[in-house]
Amino acid sequence: MGERSILRRAALAFVTAALLTAGHAHAQTDAAKADQGALKYRQSLMEAIGGDMGALSNLLKYGLTVPGAAVTHAEGIASHAKLVSAAFERKVIDGPTDAEPAIWEKPEEYKKVVQTFETESAKLVEVAKTGDPAALGVQLKATGKACGGCHDDYRKPKEESFHRKGGGHED
Amino acid sequence: MLARAWSVAALLAATAFAVGARADDAAVERGKAVLQASGGCTCHTDVKGGGAPLAGGRPLKTPFGVFYSSNITPDRETGIGAWSDADFLRAMREGVAPDGSSYFPTFPYTSFTGMSDADLLDLKAYLFSLPPVRRQKTAPDALPPFSWRISAWAWQLLFFSPQRFAPDPAKSASWNRGAYLSTAVAHCGECHTPRNLAGALDRSRWMSGSEEGPEGQLAPNLTPDADTGLGHWTRTDLVWFLQTASKPDGDDSTGLMKEVIDEGYTHVPEADLEAISEYFESLAPVRNDALAEKYEAEQDAP
Repeated sequence: MGERSILRRAALAFVTAALLTAGHAHAQTDAAKADQGALKYRQSLMEAIGGDMGALSNLLKYGLTVPGAAVTHAEGIASHAKLVSAAFERKVIDGPTDAEPAIWEKPEEYKKVVQTFETESAKLVEVAKTGDPAALGVQLKATGKACGGCHDDYRKPKEESFHRKGGGHED
Repeated sequence: MLARAWSVAALLAATAFAVGARADDAAVERGKAVLQASGGCTCHTDVKGGGAPLAGGRPLKTPFGVFYSSNITPDRETGIGAWSDADFLRAMREGVAPDGSSYFPTFPYTSFTGMSDADLLDLKAYLFSLPPVRRQKTAPDALPPFSWRISAWAWQLLFFSPQRFAPDPAKSASWNRGAYLSTAVAHCGECHTPRNLAGALDRSRWMSGSEEGPEGQLAPNLTPDADTGLGHWTRTDLVWFLQTASKPDGDDSTGLMKEVIDEGYTHVPEADLEAISEYFESLAPVRNDALAEKYEAEQDAP
């Protein structure tokens, strides 16, 4: 075995190790990024639902007539509701999140409350289509209660919350 | 002739009985409305422990230990069934039990002291119309001296004097109604006003929020301060919130606030909720530095 071949072997080992290390580091970055993405997406999804809930409330409490608005916002809530399960599939509890580990520790119970939210928000669309503001108010309340079904047990209370943008403290 | 006299007497008695029953029914109905305006008295229901409504036993965590709410069903031995009207008025407005001992201020007589005879007696009529539930009281989990009733007596001597709500003639009837409901009946200040080291409400920071609310919950600032209070809420927002537990940003309320809305405020006539909102709007804005710091810390978090 010549000197050259030993050097070549050493170089190969070095490069392989470097590549492996880099690959590992790269993989770690990917996982962290996916976690961050999961948190960000969950929060924007919740904000979208909250936005439509707020809009629907404003229509009702101020007695506004914006043609098509009630149905549009109700549909927004109902269609976003169907994304909740998938959005919370990846378990991420570290970092800026209000999600409680119970989501992944008690998946059956959790599934039930999400299902209730889907059912109530689907009803909301039906009631919105009737154009009866009183009935819509009642169903909006039922939908809000379904939001609470999850927030009570699976979301950190606000005093333990990380910062939520936009008046999260205005209770 | 005798038979006729008897039948007349019987008729009169029956009529008197019916009128009496009707008056009682009306009092019970009004009393139910008083209970709802107070937030439904949910502290007297051990929701998490599956306790019967109003039979007490709910743990109330305070910096001085854990106190358990009492049974306010009309059970004669373990509830308030044997109480006279005077007993009830004294307990609610003076914080003194029928046996003469003082109540700890976890029982918000410090607010109920403002309530009228009529509202309190209606409330009693309603409570007495409910089924009695037997449940013995639970002793507090507190270290002496906080577990001693004599401490409650001393506390009252230092920090409490009974004071009926006095309307302000310079203000509107609706403002006065709102002030009466908020400060006395709905006892908002008990959670939403910070307390001093002795657990007494700090009236210089009235309704400006408390970090250490009941059950460890943060109680927000209800004064119209723009940064830490309800400065950006309209009167309509607050009425809607008290009816639906839904905040202006579309988020829902949780914890004890949601309970008192569901069991209480949501059933209150809209005119009364408007009056309550009028009262809160009229308060001087107080910036709650502790809450501001907390919100800022949340912003700085990663």
